[in-house]
Amino acid sequence: MNNINYLIHLLILSLLQIVIVDNIHLGSYFYLNIYILAIFLLPYKLKGVPLLLFGFLLGLLMDFADNTVGIHAAASTFVAYIRPRLLQLTSTREELEDAHGVQGLTDFRWFLKYSFMSTLLFNVVLIFAEAFTFRDILITMIRIILSTFISMLFMLLYYFIGIKRAQK
Amino acid sequence: MKEIIKLILKYHFTIIFILLEIVSFSLIIRHNEYQRAIFSESASILFGNISAIATDVKNYFRLKETNESLANENILLKNRLEQYELSRDTIVQGTFMQDSIPVYEYIGAKLVNATFNRTKNYLTLDRGLKNGIWKEMGVCSPDGIVGLVQDLSGQFAIVIPLINVDSRISAKIKKNSYYGSLQWDGVDYRYSYLNDIPYHVEVNEGDTIVTSGLSKIFPEGITVGYVESVDKETANFLKIKVRLAVDFKRLDYVYVILNNKKNEQTGLEAINYHE
Repeated sequence: MNNINYLIHLLILSLLQIVIVDNIHLGSYFYLNIYILAIFLLPYKLKGVPLLLFGFLLGLLMDFADNTVGIHAAASTFVAYIRPRLLQLTSTREELEDAHGVQGLTDFRWFLKYSFMSTLLFNVVLIFAEAFTFRDILITMIRIILSTFISMLFMLLYYFIGIKRAQK
Repeated sequence: MKEIIKLILKYHFTIIFILLEIVSFSLIIRHNEYQRAIFSESASILFGNISAIATDVKNYFRLKETNESLANENILLKNRLEQYELSRDTIVQGTFMQDSIPVYEYIGAKLVNATFNRTKNYLTLDRGLKNGIWKEMGVCSPDGIVGLVQDLSGQFAIVIPLINVDSRISAKIKKNSYYGSLQWDGVDYRYSYLNDIPYHVEVNEGDTIVTSGLSKIFPEGITVGYVESVDKETANFLKIKVRLAVDFKRLDYVYVILNNKKNEQTGLEAINYHE
């Protein structure tokens, strides 16, 4: 995936999130976020401080769009922070060597493993930051789990329609 | 010194991460305390406009229903006007109605953005300072009360609705006038809870809950909701589950309530309080 391709995905994902997904309401247990897919799709060679700043700014943009101020920024910075470590954890050394992203993305099982762990951790930070309390921890846990699954579902949909098919 | 610089260089990724998280969380905390005064001004202009367009499209598909509800309300208002004209004719003019300014006035507004699935939900209206709206004004819909204006820009207003855990509204049971505070538990957008009602008060399922009129924000007697269930387990007070009259997912047009005598009342109360 080259840079222009990536920017188009970033733009589509952000617009989808702001214009459509933010308007889908599935009840207080389902917090639907697909824009973090833009962080998952980043080229491997982007790391270090630019990666963190990208996550932070993307989260901040979503905060403005969503009237939340801070919670998306906190969660997506976290996703950017754990990205290098998760990449190493979920893939073998050789896969990381071909650093252009395309090969890794075509491997569905790897993508599923990595994005599921990332989404889960994203929702942990996001929903605790939103609740800002450890009271009613059971409800918070249920919200985290359900939000992770619904977000994964929509991201996989985007993955199959927008990325897999385009590569064929 | 050299060691410290080495250490910083080695862990700069983590250090910057922690710094960014501190920024994020300070934003969250400040947003809770100062109620987003700083951000909503600039952000609401940009994203208010975007979501205004999205809502315009959405509203188009609901025109029929909205028209019907408006027509129904028109009929209701016309009837009320008739009654008023009638009573004005019969009462001798000048004896009871010396004050020509009505206490409450209504400003119509349209919902341009709303959240339902948070514990802290907010609504955005397409009316703001320019339309004479101020902070802490009440907002209601034809069905019942919606919430309070919390933040403003020139053209938009942020409303803190009943379905926000920070929202507290004084409400009473219509049939016996016992009042308590209505507070949401953050779970289901259809239900809220009325607290502080003494346990000896008789409440039945289906009883109507209305605004108390004590807060100077809402006129007395606007519908809040209906009693769904009554929990008598707590020590001295009842926990009443209230089915809200307003369906927040179907909200389109709302009224902002202007209390013309609020300043006068608050002023007087402030004087007496300090004496």
